[in-house]
Amino acid sequence: MTTPTAQMVRIMIDGMTVNVPKGTLVIEAARRVGVMIPHFCYHPKLKPDANCRMCLVEIEKVPKLQTACSTPVDEGMNVRTATTVVNDAHKSVLEFILANHPLDCPVCDQGGKCDLQDFSHQYTATSRFTETKRVFQKEYFSPLIETQMNRCVQCLRCVRYCDEVMDVKALAPVGRGTMTEIKHFGFHPLDCEFCGGCVQICPVGAITSRLSMYEYRPWMLKRAETICGYCGDGCQMTVQTKGQELIEVNSAHGAGRNNGDLCARGFFGFHAASHPQRLTHPLIRRHGALVQVTWEEALEYVADRVNEIKAAHGGPSFGGLISGRCTNEELYLFQKFLRMAIGTNHIDSSARYGHVNGLQAMQLVQGTHRWTVTFEDILDADVLILVGTNITETNPITGLKVKEAVKKRQATLITIESLEPVVDTMSNIANLSHHHFRIPTSDTHHAIVGLVKAVLEQNLTQPDLAQRHPTYVNAMTSALQQISWQDLQAATGIEPDAFVRAAKVAAGARRVVIMAGQLLLRSEQGYSGCLTLLDLLLLTGKLDAPGCGFAPLAEENNDQGAIEMGTVTELLPGAQPITNDTERERIAKQWKGELPTDKGASLIEMLERARVGSLKAMFIVGENPVGSLPAVIHAEASLRNLDLLVCQELFLTETAALAHVVLPAASSLEKHGTFTNTEGHVQAVRPAIEPVGDSRPDWEIFSALSILLNSPMEYAESKEILKEIRSLIPGYSSLGPTPLPPKVDHSAVDRYLTDGYQRDLASRYHPISRASRPDGTVRLELAQSLFHSGKLSTRSKGLLQVEGSGRLRISPSDAARFALSDGDRVRLSSTSGEMTTEVKIMERVPQGTAWFPSHFGQAAVQLFECAIDPITHVPSFRTATVSMMKVA
Amino acid sequence: MAGTGKDVSSETLGEAGTPLFIVRLACNDPMPKHELILLKNMMQPGYTGSLADYEKTGGYQALRNTLGKLAPADVTAIVRKSGLRGRGGAGFPTGVKWGFLPKDYQGPRYLCCNADESEPGTFKDRQLMERDPHQVLEGIVLACYAIGSETAYIYIRGEMVLGSKILEHAIGEARAAGYIGKNVLGSGINVDVWVHRGAGAYICGEETALLESLEGKRGLPRIKPPFPATHGLYNKPTVVNNVETLANLPHIITRGPEWFAAIGSPPKSTGTRVFCVSGHVKRPGNYEVPMGMTVRELVYEYAGGMRSDKPLKAFIPGGASAPFLTPAHLDVKLDFEHVAAAGSMLGSGGVTVMEEGTSMVWAALRLMEFFYHESCGKCSPCREGSSWLVQTMRRIFAKRGRMEDLETLLDLCKNIAGRTVCAFGDAEVAPIQSTLKHWRHEYVDLINEAEAANLIRPEPVARR
Amino acid sequence: MTFVEKYKDEIADILSRYPVRRSALIPLLYVAQRDQGYVTESAMQEIAHLLRLTPPQVYETITFYTMFNLKPVGTFHIQVCKSLMCALVGSDTVIEWIKTKLGIGPGESTADGLFSLSVVECLAACGTGPMMQINEDYYEQLTENKLDRILTDLRSTGTSPLKSGPFMWPEPVKT
Repeated sequence: MTTPTAQMVRIMIDGMTVNVPKGTLVIEAARRVGVMIPHFCYHPKLKPDANCRMCLVEIEKVPKLQTACSTPVDEGMNVRTATTVVNDAHKSVLEFILANHPLDCPVCDQGGKCDLQDFSHQYTATSRFTETKRVFQKEYFSPLIETQMNRCVQCLRCVRYCDEVMDVKALAPVGRGTMTEIKHFGFHPLDCEFCGGCVQICPVGAITSRLSMYEYRPWMLKRAETICGYCGDGCQMTVQTKGQELIEVNSAHGAGRNNGDLCARGFFGFHAASHPQRLTHPLIRRHGALVQVTWEEALEYVADRVNEIKAAHGGPSFGGLISGRCTNEELYLFQKFLRMAIGTNHIDSSARYGHVNGLQAMQLVQGTHRWTVTFEDILDADVLILVGTNITETNPITGLKVKEAVKKRQATLITIESLEPVVDTMSNIANLSHHHFRIPTSDTHHAIVGLVKAVLEQNLTQPDLAQRHPTYVNAMTSALQQISWQDLQAATGIEPDAFVRAAKVAAGARRVVIMAGQLLLRSEQGYSGCLTLLDLLLLTGKLDAPGCGFAPLAEENNDQGAIEMGTVTELLPGAQPITNDTERERIAKQWKGELPTDKGASLIEMLERARVGSLKAMFIVGENPVGSLPAVIHAEASLRNLDLLVCQELFLTETAALAHVVLPAASSLEKHGTFTNTEGHVQAVRPAIEPVGDSRPDWEIFSALSILLNSPMEYAESKEILKEIRSLIPGYSSLGPTPLPPKVDHSAVDRYLTDGYQRDLASRYHPISRASRPDGTVRLELAQSLFHSGKLSTRSKGLLQVEGSGRLRISPSDAARFALSDGDRVRLSSTSGEMTTEVKIMERVPQGTAWFPSHFGQAAVQLFECAIDPITHVPSFRTATVSMMKVA
Repeated sequence: MAGTGKDVSSETLGEAGTPLFIVRLACNDPMPKHELILLKNMMQPGYTGSLADYEKTGGYQALRNTLGKLAPADVTAIVRKSGLRGRGGAGFPTGVKWGFLPKDYQGPRYLCCNADESEPGTFKDRQLMERDPHQVLEGIVLACYAIGSETAYIYIRGEMVLGSKILEHAIGEARAAGYIGKNVLGSGINVDVWVHRGAGAYICGEETALLESLEGKRGLPRIKPPFPATHGLYNKPTVVNNVETLANLPHIITRGPEWFAAIGSPPKSTGTRVFCVSGHVKRPGNYEVPMGMTVRELVYEYAGGMRSDKPLKAFIPGGASAPFLTPAHLDVKLDFEHVAAAGSMLGSGGVTVMEEGTSMVWAALRLMEFFYHESCGKCSPCREGSSWLVQTMRRIFAKRGRMEDLETLLDLCKNIAGRTVCAFGDAEVAPIQSTLKHWRHEYVDLINEAEAANLIRPEPVARR
Repeated sequence: MTFVEKYKDEIADILSRYPVRRSALIPLLYVAQRDQGYVTESAMQEIAHLLRLTPPQVYETITFYTMFNLKPVGTFHIQVCKSLMCALVGSDTVIEWIKTKLGIGPGESTADGLFSLSVVECLAACGTGPMMQINEDYYEQLTENKLDRILTDLRSTGTSPLKSGPFMWPEPVKT
């Protein structure tokens, strides 16, 4: 790791002078002057291993040839890479590497993009090898990843990546010498995170993807650089296609915010778009059934019905709900369409499920609607605090940044997570934690309070804060005095000293980043928990310190975009409050119309209004409230009550099945646009294939309807919408990975410290009462799985091979308590409902807790109560106490 | 016994662990002509290697005279002055190696005793550990004191179960007597010594592979730098010393560096070496002699000469990694410099003697098979090269060779040597290079026989 | 009872020797091998768990070393050294003797499960070759007579007095 202050040295490479930081590896220094030294085992992400010996170079005054990949530069070093001696050495190493290679290029998927092929060509390699080649017995490796060990050059990049970058350690070099092969464990098929990293990093065809096996030659493929649609991390990926066929996804080293790393969803999840059940034609309900119609019919029908209802009941009888998976352009146009063409402010998006909690907390305390930090700040942090993130499964690539910070850059990690720190072949962030607070999700807030209490009691507060804002500090102090350590310990099972130790580490560090994940954001304490975390930063003086900040992690790929496009009822584009008259007028002027001024209804309120009959029509785009919301919300009954339900969807979901009109939408692999990732980077989405069937991008549908409704919003292409967004929202003027994060707004902080904090101080810091859980029950939590994202990924054949159904994850001790083994069936029941499912025993699940993957959660979701946050209107339904019984 | 023509049966081999009373050697060896240092105790009648026996011969006096009396740096200075060089194979000066440890480093340091004796032809450490374990342990505690280490691991090769048990027992005795453990002899110094068994991998004798193995990993050599002196076991400053090296320390401390430096071939090869003589001699075994003795004297006077009185055809002076030498080299002095000058190396001290009639192609092939089996597989040239070389050698020996194979062999050897992370690459080519140099005609004869027999000769496949 | 429970005290002693848990891997694998004659998959999993390693990490290590058996071997695992130094004094003949006497080749076991034969590389007994190791014991300076006696002893008593004691050669003798 070179720091900016690193001493520079001057070296010569093939007669060219280059200045590089001391400690740079020769191979990297050479790259800077355009000298590419051949290599197999070297990779910039990995520690040098110098095993392939391909990168030998001559260094003046050093008697033997040296490996450029492991030799750091030194002042005055004179390196030669193109001498006869070096060239002969490269040829000879290549001859060795080729000796046992099967030369089966004609049937190798790596053919055409293979380092070994390329170097053989470059060195016109010939071989004198006439002995018998080593042959490994072919073994089944895994459903998604294929190994062909005869092709392996034993560079161990896969093994090292799996360990050093992923912290998974699922690959084992087995045996010794030429008979070393990459395996998992004995004859067990690979069981791991399936990030595809080993496939990507293999320089030859030894590890390949089974999803695209024998399907292509690289030169047949068309490539599209786009952004993954499966989570808020916003990974750049290259989608490769053959005609309309999706063949493969990968991500080049150094690409995007993900630096070329992907997770299972990104690497193996791309087939969802080409699922045979995709909706390909508009559908209209006639005599109770949905029948296929033309776009003209469908759109005219919708326009007619809208006009009728609007005439009878007015604009506010309409509501709209859109998925945070849509592009910024679509989110923007959706709210503009509803506000301008329909005249309603009842707008919501999936950001309501949790992201709004983090956003409102940030707006209240620091006056921003984005992180004040970036992924780089995570990498550079001295202390990272993870709260309810389940980061490996929910935001895997942000998780990689955390892993790198801890493993390579010695950051201290504090985790408040419900994970048991258990080692298995899926990474577990608790294993890297220095201060792990293992706490059930529902009690997360108590642990945050514990840290704040420790900060106040240990005098870790920023010295001048008490002088500048004595009432805030006094109020906090007295509020926390009412919470005793005994109660906290009883509630969390954690010694007060542990809080004190962690608080001291955090307060004493220079760069502190706090990340809050879905388990907090989507919980009942989502909003208050975020505020308390911001209090923690404020008290320790970290809120506005360089490299410090609060980072709520977005679950859906464009939750952040939904906020910034004003696709929630309380916000205008630019995330300005709808109550901000100046902004509203400015936007109205630019839109050349009037904006509704009423405070609109959020998701749950809309459903309630629909149920009682005051909301008559809804546009639902890519969202499925019937499948996602618990029974107590009665989403289905509410939607059935509507006079008009228009759904834009990829698939006929539970919600779309109720619609009067279903319009087939194009997936993110089929359209242009932008996504804003969790850290606020706006990135371009590009089509890899043509829209499936007659499907159309959502924005085109809004645009077409607006014309029919005589409120034309015409755009020739999605770029024109972006242009409009840019003119309206300052932060969107630049695209790509360079924009600086916003700074803390000090006037907002002052407002918070003066009176903003008072609004809910009492409810956030109140003495703890803890209900005990009856015998025979478990705490059921809806969890995110690494192999799925929402319900979309359950249409992906690759991911279904890894996780094809929802299984209840329980701890070994609960398995023993309920006499269960893997695959047994249990019935779960709560006051709200019941379900039957299979169990899967996982050691990382804490005792007394059971996790059910939300992606398969239609039945599970019925077991939950739903709490609505009074301030942010976020519905939370992630935990419930259920009784569990084994069934035959 | 096959080697000596005389069957030495069970009567002379004691039950495991029973004391053996010694008055003379089984082979009626003459009394040594020079003073023994390392083997002296075990030559004494009735010497069992117990703590009591060791103490009777003055054992642990060096430690008593060091703790609290000499500063650690003084011990290092004495060892440096003695000229002691590593007895494991590379021959690096021991005191200098210790001096590479960071002076101001706070935190643990480690000593690893390299007892992974695996170099074919070498069997001295086994004897030193099994017959006089306390001599080794005293050396270990002294070294720990000198380098400021509180923990030493004896990495003993896994097959030597008996040796590891004897060491464990001796450590127990020494611990009870206060030579090992907390507050050694009341000095305030703590030294823990643990036996750690390897599990069958020649490469773990390479010091960084040893460290990897001790960390519970695959025994793959590490890239150097950094060296173990700064980044060794658990990334902490570490010294790795061979058993024989450490066993010399008590004597150097007790009798002074000048005494030691005067033995052997000063100034560069001081002290004695325990040479392990094997192969076609009458009396194979371990002989401790001052460095600088000629091979001729060692073979003909100590080891009793050739077993069937056939002429000596070839010998390896320093274990399997050392190039073969010929009768012309019989008067080469067995010290680091002279053996190197003769084109081989003193290595581990394993002297293997071959009589006239032994096929040199066969001998080189046998060693090549060893190296092929033991290549860890890390570096491409060694991994692939060893399998290539062994197959070509097998083919030539099976009379299916081709004349161009010889050039290929030499070329491959050249492309392996010096191109790998550790010295294994240099070692594995030594048998082929040296036998091809001295006995090329034997290869040629086999190939000519192949031609004469008109055996099937697969043509090389032209590949691009 | 699990392997870890069965050897609780011994395992605790081993773990106490190392500041980093993974170092205990090879010692623990030895305990497991002693228990069953080979290292079972479940033992590897238990050890992985105990040392906070993944099973593949245990597997990559165990397969690097030749002394661990991943499959059952005979009660007496005969390992004959075939490296050059032993070969010079007749180790190939010893292997032939064993093949004839037991009817098994390298890598095979007798039908009664009593003997397995392996041919191995140098065992550091070059001065006293030809030699072999049977389980933990060395047998050196082998002759056909001696081999017969060893095999008979092993069959009848499970051990043989012909095994080597503390090594020294040239060997001092009793008077």
